[in-house]
Amino acid sequence: MADSANAPKPSSSVKLVLLGEAAVGKSSLVLRFVNNDFQENKEPTIGAAFLTQKCNLPTRTIKFEIWDTAGQERFASLAPMYYRNAQAALVVYDLTKPTSLVKAKHWVAELQRQASPGIVIALVGNKLDLTNDGNGEGAESGGEGASAEDSGDARKVTTEEAKTYAEDENLLFFETSAKTGYNVTEVFTAIANAIPETSLKSARGAAASHAASRAEEQRVNLNGPRDPNAKEGCAC
Amino acid sequence: MLNLSSFVQRAQQLLDPTQGLNLTDSDKNPSKASLFQNQFRLPASQHPLFEITAELTIPPSNITQGDKNGDRGYHYAGKLHLSESYLCFSTTPSSFLQSASTSTASAFTGQTHGGGPSGNGFSFPLCSIRRVERLHSQNFQFALAITTWNGVPQEPGKDKDATKDKRETREQRITIQLAGPRVSCERFCDGLKKGLRGAVGSVGRLRKVVAECYSEYLLRPEDKKNATPPDAGLGMLFRYPGDPKKLRDRAKMRLWAEYLRDNGRNVTLIRQPTFHKLIRVGLPNRLRGEIWELTSGSVYLRLENPTLYADTLAKFSGQESLAIDEIEKDLNRSLPEYPGFQSEEGIGRLRRVLTAYSWVNPDVGYCQAMNIVVAALLIYMSESQAFFLLSALCDRLVPGYYSTTMYGTLLDQKVFESCVEKTMPILWEHLVKSDVQLSVVSLPWFLSLYVNSMPLVFAFRVLDVFFVEGPKVLFQVGLAILRINGEELLDATDDGAFISVLKAYFARLDESAHPKSENPKLRAVTRFQELMVVAFKEFSGITHSSIMELRLKNKDAVLNNIESFAKRTAIRNLGPDSKLLSTEELASLYDRFYGVLYERQQRDHIIKQQEHARRSKSSRPRATEVVSNEEGVEKGRVGLGPSTSLMDYDAFREFLAGMAKWAISDSPTTPRLDSFAEKDRGFYNSFRKSDVLMSPWGAGPEPADHEFLQRLFRKWDVDSTSALTLQNVVTGLARIKGKRDIMGTITYFFELHDDNGDGKVDREGILRMSEALLFLTRRGLEGDLSPSNSTLALNGLSDGVNSPQGDIPGQSLNERFLGSVSAFIRRCFEYADPDHPNNHYSGPADRGEIEESDDDQLANPDAFAIGDDDDSEDDLLEMDSPPGSPKAAKRSDTSSNQAPPSLQLNSSTAPSTLNSDASDRRRVSRAQSEKANIALDPSNPLHITLPTFRMVVLADELLEQFFESSFPASFHITGGLTSSSSQTPTSALTTFSSLGMGAGRAVGAALGGGSAAGGAGVPAGGRGLRGVLDNIVTDGMRVAAEVRRRMEEAQKELEKNALPGQKGEDDEDEDEDEAIPGFEGRMTAGRSSATYGGDAERRSVRSSDRDLLAGADAEASDVNLPGADEAETGGSSGRQERGDSASTRSGNSGTGGKVVGVEFDG
Ligand SMILES: Nc1nc2c(ncn2[C@@H]2O[C@H](COP(=O)(O)OP(=O)(O)OP(=O)(O)O)[C@@H](O)[C@H]2O)c(=O)[nH]1
Ligand SMILES: [Mg+2]
Repeated sequence: MADSANAPKPSSSVKLVLLGEAAVGKSSLVLRFVNNDFQENKEPTIGAAFLTQKCNLPTRTIKFEIWDTAGQERFASLAPMYYRNAQAALVVYDLTKPTSLVKAKHWVAELQRQASPGIVIALVGNKLDLTNDGNGEGAESGGEGASAEDSGDARKVTTEEAKTYAEDENLLFFETSAKTGYNVTEVFTAIANAIPETSLKSARGAAASHAASRAEEQRVNLNGPRDPNAKEGCAC
Repeated sequence: MLNLSSFVQRAQQLLDPTQGLNLTDSDKNPSKASLFQNQFRLPASQHPLFEITAELTIPPSNITQGDKNGDRGYHYAGKLHLSESYLCFSTTPSSFLQSASTSTASAFTGQTHGGGPSGNGFSFPLCSIRRVERLHSQNFQFALAITTWNGVPQEPGKDKDATKDKRETREQRITIQLAGPRVSCERFCDGLKKGLRGAVGSVGRLRKVVAECYSEYLLRPEDKKNATPPDAGLGMLFRYPGDPKKLRDRAKMRLWAEYLRDNGRNVTLIRQPTFHKLIRVGLPNRLRGEIWELTSGSVYLRLENPTLYADTLAKFSGQESLAIDEIEKDLNRSLPEYPGFQSEEGIGRLRRVLTAYSWVNPDVGYCQAMNIVVAALLIYMSESQAFFLLSALCDRLVPGYYSTTMYGTLLDQKVFESCVEKTMPILWEHLVKSDVQLSVVSLPWFLSLYVNSMPLVFAFRVLDVFFVEGPKVLFQVGLAILRINGEELLDATDDGAFISVLKAYFARLDESAHPKSENPKLRAVTRFQELMVVAFKEFSGITHSSIMELRLKNKDAVLNNIESFAKRTAIRNLGPDSKLLSTEELASLYDRFYGVLYERQQRDHIIKQQEHARRSKSSRPRATEVVSNEEGVEKGRVGLGPSTSLMDYDAFREFLAGMAKWAISDSPTTPRLDSFAEKDRGFYNSFRKSDVLMSPWGAGPEPADHEFLQRLFRKWDVDSTSALTLQNVVTGLARIKGKRDIMGTITYFFELHDDNGDGKVDREGILRMSEALLFLTRRGLEGDLSPSNSTLALNGLSDGVNSPQGDIPGQSLNERFLGSVSAFIRRCFEYADPDHPNNHYSGPADRGEIEESDDDQLANPDAFAIGDDDDSEDDLLEMDSPPGSPKAAKRSDTSSNQAPPSLQLNSSTAPSTLNSDASDRRRVSRAQSEKANIALDPSNPLHITLPTFRMVVLADELLEQFFESSFPASFHITGGLTSSSSQTPTSALTTFSSLGMGAGRAVGAALGGGSAAGGAGVPAGGRGLRGVLDNIVTDGMRVAAEVRRRMEEAQKELEKNALPGQKGEDDEDEDEDEAIPGFEGRMTAGRSSATYGGDAERRSVRSSDRDLLAGADAEASDVNLPGADEAETGGSSGRQERGDSASTRSGNSGTGGKVVGVEFDG
């Protein structure tokens, strides 16, 4: 297992939640990050899905506990259940759908008011492969590559617009393609780096003492064969 | 291993039915009709009409199982129920009589080995019964032999075939012995006879519906072997999931064929214990869809309206909707591993079913997970069958799961957690301690009915049982999953580990549960079988009723959570306009908006139910229906997924009436209940008091209806949908209230009356504007009337304070405003631009004239009364005074001369507001007055533009204040009409009718009689004025007389209403000495309605008023009273029999009030 090599490095877990309109590619991003895979017809997420993935930083290992939520509007009322105590959030929109950015902004506002203070938020514009920018850049990241239909530029949200907003709100900002894998791991690495040390100590923010003991258990237990979700450390 | 059975026992103790204490009556006592419908899975059209204890005998010729009793066949004791179009028998001893207790009515706990909710028996549509014969039996008084259409060929035309086939398929004939007193038996039989007669027409429809059932094909007679089978789902084209051999599909099919042959097929099927056993071992592929639709009851929905599916698709063909967009996103993402859904065929079916359902149930529309469930259904059934089954799911089996708030899903998660806590406390404790969120794993189980969680073949087995036994199955299976994995789960310390244990478990459901066992039989038991056994044996204590109890118990908390989330989200998403309002105001608007919608739906619902109950009581005296219905009563609550978030015009009126005095009707058609001060406290609780519900407006005041309201509504309805969203309302209010910018408000008001948006308001529009102004202020002005005038300010209190001032004849704020409005009209006409180019006058020059500064305006009465230059006055008089009434002319002259005192009062209190600029603007030249006369000529079309309007408004201090402050302040968004102001009608009455009220006024107001009186009087004034305004246009000559007549009429009415039994008083009141007592009385009225007394306060107010009186204004009353006198005499003849002081005074203030008098006379 990966951890034997990384054993000396301190490891801590980070709860990360994905939010965004339906079908923007949240689950696909996670699938790319966790399994380096992509499915054309990914079933919609019902409620939420939970996955884990490790991310090796030079000085420490971050284990992401990823909560991938359902995007349809009416599932929104379930979201607080999932972003509770989250230390990081990926708010995803679809570069080819302007409404999805509006929805993303709503989520950012919701998180800023309701989630744990100090939560690290990344705004992610997905499906870059469908835009002209995606064709060139996406190819170098490997993955499925650009197909014929991608030749037209389907981009409806400019980088400027989203970036400006992200800067105003103090968010990390990325444009990605879950399909080609472009920029996906970068998002997670950036988040891992942005998580302040202090909040890592008390792994889950709120329940400090209890969470600390849990972190201990995790080191003991999670590496056992019982955890099929424990992957090799991510490429970062 | 945990000792499970002890947990179950404990659970059963804990699931004490008395636990759901905080329930409403309707929650606790769902209607007998809905319980009946639930038990027999019948459509909502069915009500329990008759029931009787009976014994069902199934003759030996078609027996498979049961208690064999010699040659007499199988017997089941139970109850026979008759509804409008169904005859149902069940061994479950439920009773749906009015007198039956809820527990006996809901006694379908469905123990695993019982018969599911409906027990053994049948639910025959009456149209499936071919013949009923009365048998002569010795043991029972009544015995009926029932023959069904079961197996009788489709085409009734071919008689020969029919007789031939009958020989092949045995006729289905059962006997039922009724046990009961002769009368009840007879009544039951009469009911049955009537029902059967009514059902004759539906036989054809039944045949069509049944023809789509696979059983008809399966049991077809020999000569039809080549017929094409009915659609039994995509499985027929793309194979059914799983290995048919492993599933032993053939053997199952044989067993079912045998059962159906003996016990009737589809709607004529009789449930015997074998039926339930066969379901437990898993349905055969081709019959699965049919049995699902039978056990879920969706076949009865299809029978009610067989073409609904096709009709819906046809009706909405080509139309777009949000739901359709959402559906499109998910079509390729529904069971993509099944080949049928990689094809256009499967995708097309899925699209059509989901789309059709989203049209028939727009409240639900489309929810992710429905795609997965429907995809699963479509493997086994036709589109139409899936469509109706989806209906049955959403409405009955998993209510609220797919609603827009998904409250059902959230609620059942809470219920599931409680079940876990009670049945597996150790595991529960562990989950809590490890901070593992159970619903993360369990929510998808419930929402997609395990379809996505387990391998399909197993998920369908769960569904087989679920459709017979109901939602409790989802809980039993869920608990069993946790129970079986209990030990491993206790080792899992975080969500990830927890989830992976269960994932691994689901992946190995087909493996042996006891792989190491010596016993080959045990070894052969799969994990899935083990799961079923644990679910239905160990958790047999989880029953329909225990789930219902828990749902009720958790419902409020869940709904409150959803509602606060929804509110937060909605408010945040209201867009930039909303920033103009405070968060408090937005929150309050949100509550009011949805509160009104909710209350209205409650009211509608209850009124409908009451009507229904009344009707059914009169038509059939034995109707066993009660008024409430569990689902229905809460409909419209935000947490349940508001069935509407659109506010129509009536709701809009009600909404405004909750926060603006002027929006309350003056002449309520229904008596108002006094309790509406409580309204703001809890929208959802207020409905529990049923007495409140009788009024069409609930507990609130009846809203007014006025052209202005319609305009406002249309203006806010930016998308012209004849309905407002919360966004519309917020945007609308933000423009009025948000900026506190007088120019903005003036512009807004102008635009409101600029019908075609061309920047012009014509003569009609001007009149409408003035009507609107009067309408809006008829209960007094609110807000800061002017910086230094703060004593005059707002609310009930100030009304009280004001009225004394108004008491000094001619001084009431309302009178002054009335004057301002009439001045407004006149000025509008004066400055209006003629539409006709010939009549064009030099506007700028005129305006220049107004700008002309006049320093002594400060103390000049003219600052208030427009056109009261003697000269212009004369002009108008000349024109207006009817030849026969010189007195009137003279009097009006007088009154205009008497104006100064009233002005002085005002200017003394608010000198600072009268800057010279404003007074300049108020100056009106004689030339303009002359122009106005021309303007009155209806043959000269004219209009005003926004700048003109603005100028005219600013030319009048009161109007200016109205737009600056009163109008915006009249929307009490946050505070609402609080208890003092909720008595608005009363206090407003005081104010407005202080157009000279006598001492008795206080009594009237205090007694609350004032409310109706003020109501009736005020609008009459408004109406009268409208007439007057029309007349100004059509016939300038009659204006003065007409105005007076109408005003007096209005006041007469006002007095009449306001002062019941004031006859005794007479004109003495006009004595100056009496003026003060009169004033005091009025004072009291104002005070008492505003603050409920407080003598000290009252006294202080009074003394302050005395100070005023002692000052410059004392004079005013002296001067004005005579004027009033004249008004009385010179005014309408035959005015009223009640020559009471009050009316005299009102006459006084109407005409003697300087502004009014001048204006209308002129
Ligand atoms: N071209 C392209 N398609 C993508 C990309 N990411 C996702 N998709 C496709 O978009 C669809 C939706 O992807 P999901 O990952 O299921 O979206 P989601 O946000 O998880 O959706 P919900 O679970 O419904 O909220 C799938 O058909 C994906 O194949 C991408 O980067 N490029
Ligand atoms: Mg997803």
